[in-house]
Amino acid sequence: MQGNEAVAEAAVKAGIKFYAAYPITPASEIMHVMAKKKDIKFVHAEDEIAAVMMAIGASISDGKSMTSTSGPGFSLMQESIGMATMTETPLVIVNVQRVGPSTGMPTLPSQGDVLQSAYGSHGDRYPIVFYPNSVSEMYKYTIESFNAAEENQGPVILLSDGFLGHLYETVELDKIDYKVKDRKGKKFGTGNRHYTGLISKNGIPMTKDTKVYREWIKKVKERTEKIAKNYAFYEYLENEKSNTLLIAYGITSRVILPLKEKYSIFRPIRMFPVLEKELKKISEKYKKIIVIEMNDGQYKKEIERVLKREIESIPILGGSIHLSEIKDKLK
Amino acid sequence: MNFKDYLKIERFPSSWCPGCGIGIVVCNTARVFEELKLKKEDITVVSGIGCTGRAAGYFNMDTIHGLHGRAIPLAEGVKIARPDMKVMVLSGDGDLIGIGGNHLIHACKRNTDITVICNNNHIYGMTGGQRSPMTDKGIKTITSPYGNEEDPVNVQGIVRANKRFFARTTTFHILHMKSVIKEAIQHKGFSFVEIVSNCVENYGRRLGFKNAYDMLLNFKQTYKIVKDAKELEWDEIGIIK
Repeated sequence: MQGNEAVAEAAVKAGIKFYAAYPITPASEIMHVMAKKKDIKFVHAEDEIAAVMMAIGASISDGKSMTSTSGPGFSLMQESIGMATMTETPLVIVNVQRVGPSTGMPTLPSQGDVLQSAYGSHGDRYPIVFYPNSVSEMYKYTIESFNAAEENQGPVILLSDGFLGHLYETVELDKIDYKVKDRKGKKFGTGNRHYTGLISKNGIPMTKDTKVYREWIKKVKERTEKIAKNYAFYEYLENEKSNTLLIAYGITSRVILPLKEKYSIFRPIRMFPVLEKELKKISEKYKKIIVIEMNDGQYKKEIERVLKREIESIPILGGSIHLSEIKDKLK
Repeated sequence: MNFKDYLKIERFPSSWCPGCGIGIVVCNTARVFEELKLKKEDITVVSGIGCTGRAAGYFNMDTIHGLHGRAIPLAEGVKIARPDMKVMVLSGDGDLIGIGGNHLIHACKRNTDITVICNNNHIYGMTGGQRSPMTDKGIKTITSPYGNEEDPVNVQGIVRANKRFFARTTTFHILHMKSVIKEAIQHKGFSFVEIVSNCVENYGRRLGFKNAYDMLLNFKQTYKIVKDAKELEWDEIGIIK
């Protein structure tokens, strides 16, 4: 199975009812698989903004929904991610990253949208972002993304990259461990609720009321912090002889796996909220921490912020990644 | 059910300026719901951003107020997910024809079974009176201080390009407006109703209209009701389907 196909098949397992997207390499295969699913409402939209807005409308009015894209489309979706946050609408957005900015290097893989996935939309938000590193994990964490979206009543971003999206691996579906969280709440049409991108209380816009805003954002922040605890996914490969901790995620963590013979490796799967507690505890004993990623040190900045110490960075830019290059830089 | 039951009366007076046409559109849309004996559970109103974007919040049912320009895809998402519901879009000319113009073309293409009501007041009212895609040539606004050099969008042409239901009416011709909205709701497939509407505060006032009454009187004198037309001239109101 291919990484992108795994996302589509897992979405079906998670109980998706609606999917809309716009073609973009290297994410299109998710669309191709979804187009064939007769039990799921499928729309090939006119652009990514329409795709994500339709998914929001479908999620509010009916049930689980998803859209998928790559960097350029993800940029177009940012405003809508804010709307899903404000209207507290569960939604899964998959971003199969490619090299940017702009059209960039179509369609070499990249991890350049890591910060955008958390900070791209305007205003304060507390998103949940996952980034698996294998095809079977794409399957598992697609389902977990739906679960987290339902539980947290908001958008969840599932990151992938051109490598993972197009990677073919054997997947033993019956060995993947997951539970599906069902949609809860009153059927759309049976109330007088007003879903609005404005700050509101009981369906009435409160656009000049600072207190209402502060109460709302506090509620969302605390809820996300609490619920994210149930999704604290990571992998820690400890090498007792090493005083250096390598941090890598997604496809980069696969490439550097042979380095575990020499170094300890920490791989966050829940990228946001950053795994602060886990990182603080694990990082204590290491003299040196190096983040290896296919961008110019985006997640390194997050780790520095959390650990409040100097972190080294090995950026892998331009869509090409080789273990030998990383080994050279580690010398 | 009385038309007031479809509205959140407790929220009135509305946030719109005195002399605004949106209230007439909202009220008469609710009156059509009453005449068609629609159940509240079976309808939803979706709007975009701007003065008319606030309309959805005054309807007493589950409603959605989306992003600027994105009312149509939001409503299409609802309709495709919930084909059992009547889905209305109520938004302005800037929202539906300007920033959201691409979605209008594609909703026409898809023939999604929704009714789009466009309160066309020819101006960006909420932001203070800037030129809209429907502002006529020569008109002075705060972003066309020497007169608008461009033609307005031919929205009839866009909707009719795929032979979809198109209607025009005004906030003066209330009985006509009701019959047009009624027919649009009953029409199977995509329907678009352009309601020429009065914004005295940020548009008419600067053109020399003293009050909303003057603007409505102008609609009365300008627009003629036509029947069985193949295409509406700019000063004609009616239905083409």
